[in-house]
Amino acid sequence: MIVARAWLRWFAVSAVLIVGGCGTSTGEAPFPNRAIEIVSWATPGGPSDLLARAIAEAAPDYFEGQRVSVMTRQGGAGAAGMQYLRSRAGDPHVLGVFTASGTVNMATGRIPFAPGDFTPILRIQVDPFLVAVREDSPFRTIGDLIGAARERPGEVSMSGFGAASAHFLGFQRLRAAAGDPDIRWIAYEGSGDAVVAALGGHTDAAHTNYNIVREHLRAGTMRVLAVALPLTALRDTPTYLDEGYDLAPVHWRGVVGPPGLSPEVRADLRERLLATIRTAGFQEYMARAAMEYAVMEGSDAFGAWIAEEVDTSRALLGRLGLLMNE
Amino acid sequence: MTEFAEGLATALQPSNLAALLGGSVLGVFAGAVPGLSSTVGLALVLPVTFALEPTPALLMMISIYMAAEYGGSITAIAIGVPGSSPALATTFDGYAMTRRGEAGRAFGISLFASMSGGILGTLLLVAALGPLSRAAIAFGPPEYFGLGVFGLAIVANLVGSDPLKGIISALLGLLAFIVGLDVLTGAPRLTLGTTVLMDGLGLVPMLIGFFAIAEALNGVAGRRATVEGTVGMRGALPAFRDLFGLWRPVLRGSAIGGIIGAIPGAGATIASIVAWNEERRTSRTPERFGSGEPAGIAAPEAANNACVGAAMIPLLALGIPGSASAAVLLGGLTVQGVAPGPLLMTEQASLVYALYAGFIVAVAFMLAVGRLGIPLWVRVVSLRPRILMPLVVGVSLIGAFVLRGNLADAWFALFFGLLGFLMLRRGYPLAPAVLGLILGPMVETNYRRALALSSGSHTVFVESPIALVLLLLAVASFAAPALRGRLQSERAAR
Repeated sequence: MIVARAWLRWFAVSAVLIVGGCGTSTGEAPFPNRAIEIVSWATPGGPSDLLARAIAEAAPDYFEGQRVSVMTRQGGAGAAGMQYLRSRAGDPHVLGVFTASGTVNMATGRIPFAPGDFTPILRIQVDPFLVAVREDSPFRTIGDLIGAARERPGEVSMSGFGAASAHFLGFQRLRAAAGDPDIRWIAYEGSGDAVVAALGGHTDAAHTNYNIVREHLRAGTMRVLAVALPLTALRDTPTYLDEGYDLAPVHWRGVVGPPGLSPEVRADLRERLLATIRTAGFQEYMARAAMEYAVMEGSDAFGAWIAEEVDTSRALLGRLGLLMNE
Repeated sequence: MTEFAEGLATALQPSNLAALLGGSVLGVFAGAVPGLSSTVGLALVLPVTFALEPTPALLMMISIYMAAEYGGSITAIAIGVPGSSPALATTFDGYAMTRRGEAGRAFGISLFASMSGGILGTLLLVAALGPLSRAAIAFGPPEYFGLGVFGLAIVANLVGSDPLKGIISALLGLLAFIVGLDVLTGAPRLTLGTTVLMDGLGLVPMLIGFFAIAEALNGVAGRRATVEGTVGMRGALPAFRDLFGLWRPVLRGSAIGGIIGAIPGAGATIASIVAWNEERRTSRTPERFGSGEPAGIAAPEAANNACVGAAMIPLLALGIPGSASAAVLLGGLTVQGVAPGPLLMTEQASLVYALYAGFIVAVAFMLAVGRLGIPLWVRVVSLRPRILMPLVVGVSLIGAFVLRGNLADAWFALFFGLLGFLMLRRGYPLAPAVLGLILGPMVETNYRRALALSSGSHTVFVESPIALVLLLLAVASFAAPALRGRLQSERAAR
């Protein structure tokens, strides 16, 4: 009996500790009147998480010295973090890093969220997709790869991150523009794993981003066939447009707030974040992570971009027969 | 050699030493607390490292990684709850020794083996960075499939007295891994239409549920084995002769950890279980394994620490993280402007040598923290279970929550706790289920990937020499206990 009571006590203590961490109080003082939270639902150490942390590092100067901390809430393909952000309607002290993965997950119907569940504030960076091969690959151009797939349908393989993911859809957009050659998509748990597969000769090419293959390009162990958008670091590499495919699928990341922020609050947050990403420290992070700035004119433009991404993804998934029943 | 001396001089600078020491203390703590692991420890200090110079930042991270692999064994030995998943195999013999009243000896063996494994893994990293990294990428889908099946075959040695119950337990683990989004198609499986189950049930909740909560419930039900005899403080430590006698399991464990650790995605948990199994298989007294055999602690503990150095091989040479912890480390390096890859050795040689030397210093600190801590761990063992276990459960549940900041994980842990309790009471072993959850994804995704690449032809699994050898080993490993039992009964009949 005593034991059982000791048990209950411990559960109660843990429960208080767990729930207590989420407690809040909304004051009347002007914004910001307490610490800012950036909700991160991505893998710790991954690109989205690092963006959140870079913002947290540079932001306090533009939020009246308030502490800015990153709060990890993983689970449910991002749903746990999004759920929390959505629940904080009207509170500008809680922000989230929103990415292309979020729009794709919305489009598939995997997670019960829509663009309207958040307030778009600022798109910060794009990370264009590219196709890379091992240095000794027979393919010299993206045209070679597509030509080979036409000649030998189903025998050319492309490794990339995830299935029905932003990477997968970026690849599908390219494939559709090239007239749907039969290229086999081999899904991996991470972009790094997908590059290893191509590097080890297990797949013919990898669909990835610049920062994942940067060191292999510098060492000459891999080559990029084509990149979605011109990158300073890939000056001599043809873009998809150069190769005759008029599209530019990118991975992108930006900041959104909870729903129900007034246009004034939104404009205020945007200004503060713009100042944050212009600091020398943040610029240094962008350069090190090999990301391109991609700020849009006004928060509405970012909102329209998010909505458009969901629609494009949904259309493409529908064509591929990958929409989930809702 | 001069480069190494310079690296050592760098690692011994006061600020770097402080980073290494701080990392070691944090690492032992993160490893020992069930729910926290080297990955969580690294993720928690990631923001701290942003404020440091690249060298101390890197050294702090590697010392956390190294010390956490040892720290996991503390709870494994003290209370039979693996502090992190690579210490799972250590519970088999470590906890048995504690129950026999030999906790101090078990702690000493684990620390010695961790130290040796850490150093040997580092030497492997220094000596074979280039060749091993090239070998590691030769591991494609068929080879991973072979490794996964080989790991699953170990279940045959974990089943205890009733093989059928062991196999049912392993199948439960395989069933649990299916929950979540399918990696290859993105389709949700067994998620019951909720997002809560979309990322799966998770290994950490299962470990906490099975080993902390189920054991605690068992204690409430009055079925928990009590620690016999009193545990001395110093006298209980192993004699040097005792440790030197373990050089074979330590070397074998380190070799297994070094090889498996260098393969991206394979990991320390698999390495330590394989090491334990190899030790048992090659032993003249396999029946003593699981009931407090020193070699059963030495081999897995050497293996999981050897994995740390080995996991750096694909990271440094190819810029590819070989484990979840290495992935967080890569994130930290990226922020510091250090880009691991084929050119790192030529462009940032001084940093790489500081890192090599840092590993050796990190092992030394791990040894110091571990040695100073042993009396403390022993005192924990002597706490009464009804005080200790609720404490462990509380801390574990918080640990499960911290990992992803998701309360669902605490509920999953409670679910596994009830399941584990029922299984224990009916005599089902728990370890096979954990093995099923860890290896299921490796086996399934790589089987499907291999077939997608071979247009559905199964010959890929025998055409690859590595995969073929691993699959044959799996058959041998699975059949061995049954054959041995048959031989013994025939002999007895005669």
